[in-house]
Amino acid sequence: MMLPILAQIFWTGFANAAYYVLFTIAFALIVKVVQLWNFAQAGMMGIAFYTMYTVINFLEWPTWAAFLIGVAVTAAAGLLVEFYGLRTLRRRRSSNLMFFIFTLIFSELIAYVLMFLFGTEPVTLFPSILSPVRIIHGIAVTDWDLTAIAVTSVSLIALWLFLQFHREGQFLLAVADNGRLAELYGISAQRAYLVAFAIAAVFSCEGMYLFGTRAAVLPTTPNDLMLFAVIGTLLGGMGRLFAAAAAAVVLALVQSYSVLVIASKWQGLVLYGFLFVVIVLFPRGFRLPGFRARRAIPSPTPVQAKV
Amino acid sequence: MSDNRPASLRRRTLLATAMAGVASTSLPAIAQDKPKLRLGVALPLTGSQALFGTDQVRAAQWGAEDINRKGGVNGQPLEMIVQDTQADPQTGINAFNHLIGVDKVPVIAVAWSSVVQATAPVATRDTTLALSIGASSTKVAHLGDYVYTTYPLANVDVTALAKYVYNTLGKRTGAVLYINNESGLEGGRVFRDVFTQLGGKIVAYEAYDPTATDFTGMLLKVRVADPEIIHIQGLTADTPQVIAQMRQLGMQQRVTSYSAGYNPQLIKQLGAAAEGFIVTSLAPGPGDNPNVAAFIERWKKEMGRAPNGLPYTQYLYDYPYIVSSIYAWLAKNNLPVSGENFRKGLVEIREFDLPMTGKLVVNPDHTVDKPVYLLTVKDGAFVPLATIS
Repeated sequence: MMLPILAQIFWTGFANAAYYVLFTIAFALIVKVVQLWNFAQAGMMGIAFYTMYTVINFLEWPTWAAFLIGVAVTAAAGLLVEFYGLRTLRRRRSSNLMFFIFTLIFSELIAYVLMFLFGTEPVTLFPSILSPVRIIHGIAVTDWDLTAIAVTSVSLIALWLFLQFHREGQFLLAVADNGRLAELYGISAQRAYLVAFAIAAVFSCEGMYLFGTRAAVLPTTPNDLMLFAVIGTLLGGMGRLFAAAAAAVVLALVQSYSVLVIASKWQGLVLYGFLFVVIVLFPRGFRLPGFRARRAIPSPTPVQAKV
Repeated sequence: MSDNRPASLRRRTLLATAMAGVASTSLPAIAQDKPKLRLGVALPLTGSQALFGTDQVRAAQWGAEDINRKGGVNGQPLEMIVQDTQADPQTGINAFNHLIGVDKVPVIAVAWSSVVQATAPVATRDTTLALSIGASSTKVAHLGDYVYTTYPLANVDVTALAKYVYNTLGKRTGAVLYINNESGLEGGRVFRDVFTQLGGKIVAYEAYDPTATDFTGMLLKVRVADPEIIHIQGLTADTPQVIAQMRQLGMQQRVTSYSAGYNPQLIKQLGAAAEGFIVTSLAPGPGDNPNVAAFIERWKKEMGRAPNGLPYTQYLYDYPYIVSSIYAWLAKNNLPVSGENFRKGLVEIREFDLPMTGKLVVNPDHTVDKPVYLLTVKDGAFVPLATIS
């Protein structure tokens, strides 16, 4: 009797973890490369969703076009944040607190603008949120579950390949390791920041697509979703992208299973409990004993940039 | 002397004045000569709730215009004065102070629970009648002598629904799923208590977090309990998600909800999975009252769309009719216009026959009696199911 319930919770929790993983990767990548706690990501997620929503529902263009336009607009917003916000703050040698406040204000501003443009009615990307379902060994598996897991898996593999084998990806890792040293080798840190923001835009867009096809979105929804990304990044350890993704999966599953021992209304509290414990006990992230001496992503030798 | 008020305040005042101007300039000449009878409105014209607030103001404005077109109250036209609250308690207090201190209105229509609660002490202090039109919190009935509601409070429709489920549908076991906020807690408790008192059994009573998007664990618990009917006391955003995930987990029970579920968007989101879904409405629909059909047509003709939050606009349209009845009562009894006498008039008249929402009975305990309309989803549309008086 209990086994099918446990299996169903595992499957649904695992599938739901997909968008949390994507948001966490986007957040952790900026933390790693730009060394910034980018709370402006919530604003970018809002822009991503409402751009796709507009293209699908008002322009009635196909989904792939909506996604591409969503990525383009979100990336443009990220680049504007980098060009006109963060660079200005760096030039002024502003404190970390100023960076933090700037990114936070950006997200709030975007939420208000979206509220004025789209109102406060919750909306979904497509009119229907029902997904075809099949029962496999007593477990309900929806098309959405399969899509979410596939999109996230492919994105993670693509990112790993990009970081390991593509020149731009290797530059990102070099800048993440030591920005000044990387610049001595001719790698542009500014360019690496822009690439990081562009990748974060893709992951944010994918995450909001998956979220918006399953649940209703309000202009303030991305702010709530950010909590997962922050805890995942902290729990995975600064700069450990794929550990952060694994942490997001664990968090999603713990939250799903928690309903068996606590009332559903306390599920949200589980996240804050994790945040508290991680900050107090694991400020540098949680590491399994066997992995203590290893890096999640080995940093390659910085490569001489093309002149 | 320079005007050092913030720009946003000046904009709000201008907007409000413009809307009030529209109301008074459209009066027929015969009524313009006589002194105007004032009524206040404090609703959000800017901010996140402006979408609903401006439509509610427009509905009240149409109500006043229609009364004036028929000669006003004993030949005297109504003049509606509007102030913006932004659905914000502090701005609401400023709006009340302006309407009472500067515009000298004896009665103010106000909505949004937090604003109603914040402005109640101002209404009581200045002995001005505040009519809450749209706030459903049961706290509204306990905000002092000068705060009344014309809108049924949260327990009215859920009580009627629980009785219908037990008595008419014959269901004996039920589950209640409610969002963990004020409206969810209160509505969920009312459904559980009424259903249990009638002899039914609540086999699952589960709250969920307002930010939750995955309800699998909670729904699996309910599936094991196997209730005959499931009542969801949620909001517009989460109710369709709960039902969608229910159906995907193979749960086919009939689902009920309250007025938050009465949303055509929900049918689009759920398709065939919405069939049989029962919701409540506290205002009659076009099939119940021909005036409502004409009202919707008027929106389409003048605004090119249906109003945002139709039931609320119906209640706001009726507001000037309540006020005009009280003004007529004051004239008949030779009483001066004051907030105190307005309150007296409301309590004395007690029963109002209103064009858009039907009969209204104001109770001494500051609650109201209104019929509850039950609707169900049939062939992809909400259709009337029953009317409970």
